[in-house]
Amino acid sequence: MSAIALTIDGLSVDFGGFRAVNNVSITVFDGELRVLLGANGAGKTTLMDLVSGKTHSTQGKVFVYDTDITNWPEHRIARAGIGRKFQIPSVFRDLTVRQNLQVANCRNPSVLANLRFGFSRAEASRVDDVLALTGLEAEHGMMAAYLSHGQTQWLELGMLIVQDPKVVLLDEPTAGMTQAETRKTAQIINNLKGRHTILVVEHDMGFVREIAERITVLHLGEVLAEGSVEDIERNPKVREAYLGSKGIS
Amino acid sequence: MSIERKFQIAAYMLFIAVIFAAPVFGDEFWLNRISKYLVYGMLGVAIALTWGYAGILNLGQGLFFGLGAYMLAMSLKLSSLTSLQQGSDRPVPDFMLWNAEPGAPTELCCINKGSFLWLPFQSQSVGLVLGIVLPVVIAGALGMLVFRKRISGVFVSIITLALVLLVRLVMVDAQPVTNGFNGLTDLGWLTIGGIEFDPYSRATYYLCAACLSLTLIGARLIVETRAGMILQAIRDDHVRARYLGFDVSLYQVFFFVISAGIAGVAGMLYVVVAEFASPTFMDLSFSVTMVVWAAVGGRSSLLGACIGAILINMIEAEVSETEALVEAWKAIIGLIFVLVVLFMPRGLGGVAHDVLRWFVRRRKLGKAFPALPQQSEAL
Repeated sequence: MSAIALTIDGLSVDFGGFRAVNNVSITVFDGELRVLLGANGAGKTTLMDLVSGKTHSTQGKVFVYDTDITNWPEHRIARAGIGRKFQIPSVFRDLTVRQNLQVANCRNPSVLANLRFGFSRAEASRVDDVLALTGLEAEHGMMAAYLSHGQTQWLELGMLIVQDPKVVLLDEPTAGMTQAETRKTAQIINNLKGRHTILVVEHDMGFVREIAERITVLHLGEVLAEGSVEDIERNPKVREAYLGSKGIS
Repeated sequence: MSIERKFQIAAYMLFIAVIFAAPVFGDEFWLNRISKYLVYGMLGVAIALTWGYAGILNLGQGLFFGLGAYMLAMSLKLSSLTSLQQGSDRPVPDFMLWNAEPGAPTELCCINKGSFLWLPFQSQSVGLVLGIVLPVVIAGALGMLVFRKRISGVFVSIITLALVLLVRLVMVDAQPVTNGFNGLTDLGWLTIGGIEFDPYSRATYYLCAACLSLTLIGARLIVETRAGMILQAIRDDHVRARYLGFDVSLYQVFFFVISAGIAGVAGMLYVVVAEFASPTFMDLSFSVTMVVWAAVGGRSSLLGACIGAILINMIEAEVSETEALVEAWKAIIGLIFVLVVLFMPRGLGGVAHDVLRWFVRRRKLGKAFPALPQQSEAL
């Protein structure tokens, strides 16, 4: 059995009496791709906020491998090995596509260590590789503000790949994408499988089938079920709560 | 190297060459005036660094300018002739004597309650060092407080604005030590390594020109580093930067401090050139004026903001001294600001950038379709 990459242990958050996430425990193995499923308000994004440090939990613990990162500040969690893609694509709009990736490529985050010019050949080739992987080679000198929605999403994914975190959190990576774009995104994500541990929040069932190994279903802030795509499709509780009577279509 | 880059380097070199060649064109009086404008140019660079590159609109840059000015002015005050002729072995500022209580000892240590603060300033190097250290330390402390708390945008502007007014009030109120509203006048000359900087000499002009050039080149180099790129990334999206593992506030504090240091040096130079320091340096209007210079010059261009500051002051001097416009000059300057903000939102630097891009594109198209010039126009 491989090591556990991400452990969420009894995690809860209380927003003035409202428990958006309630006693959630999930373990994700090294190299696994886990999909988080759930209706709006099920607590998926909140869970990601808790893991990545945006929101502080009121109970429970989060570990990356053996490191307890519960309620650390965001930049320290990022350095501990958690990368995150936001639901609304966020990139550095007034920097070029290449510069966006270069920023993600600065391994040492301290100010003084970055008071130097240029990038080594290895670092440059890494950026080139990711430009190729995300299909943004032609746009490398373009301001990120001028990218299309899909391209912006890929750029953000590219930044995550350059950053090379152990655990990748993806919040609806295909939101607002055309079918062709969704397919390409699935390709990029499948390409990451095995090298990174990935946790994806996603609604698009076609996409989920394309990438998913195991699914965790959240409902009203709690874990409702966990299993393979087939298990989840057959699970009566999930049908009732989320999928309706027709199953995954 | 791209054409844009070559052009940028050429522009910096040309600007520096022009300011070093300027003494050929005018007399000492004119040079003294231009020296002041070069100091304002440094303030333009300081503003562009924080506003354009870090997205921090500091409406209290006058605080750092004023602190730098007062630190050096205190030293220069003590080395002035009047301070040396107050009947004491050691210098005492004249205003302290005028306001001294009867029977108070004519000594810097104890002529009034706060006068001992002046003791270290008997050495000019103390004034010179504190003129940069004090603004840097205060900016560092303020930055740690503000940016650690993740205060951003307009709230930073409000805090800096309030702070400069607060310090101004204190400076005016501490009349026995600072000479209040009147400020510090009748100063001695700065002397470094045997060279006396007479404000109406070429030496002083070259000192300002050299400081401005070093500031420009230094600031430009620092924004070209990885740290400079990360700073711009933070300006665009600090949340994203945080999730890439950068401690956002450290970057903001670092560049805020550099900007304050530049303003401190500018304040010192101003004292050397203008021979006074006054609480008006910390007037709100002065800090806002600096921002206007940077806006006209182009806040995202260090050289643009610097040229903006110099140009506006030259125009202002020209217009206000033209007899026909004596009544209207403020309206004319105001109109220029409005027009620039309306039609050139990125300032002169932005216009230069656009013109350059247009030329580069034309050249590229010209190369790609040498036989079809009209078509390239349409593309």
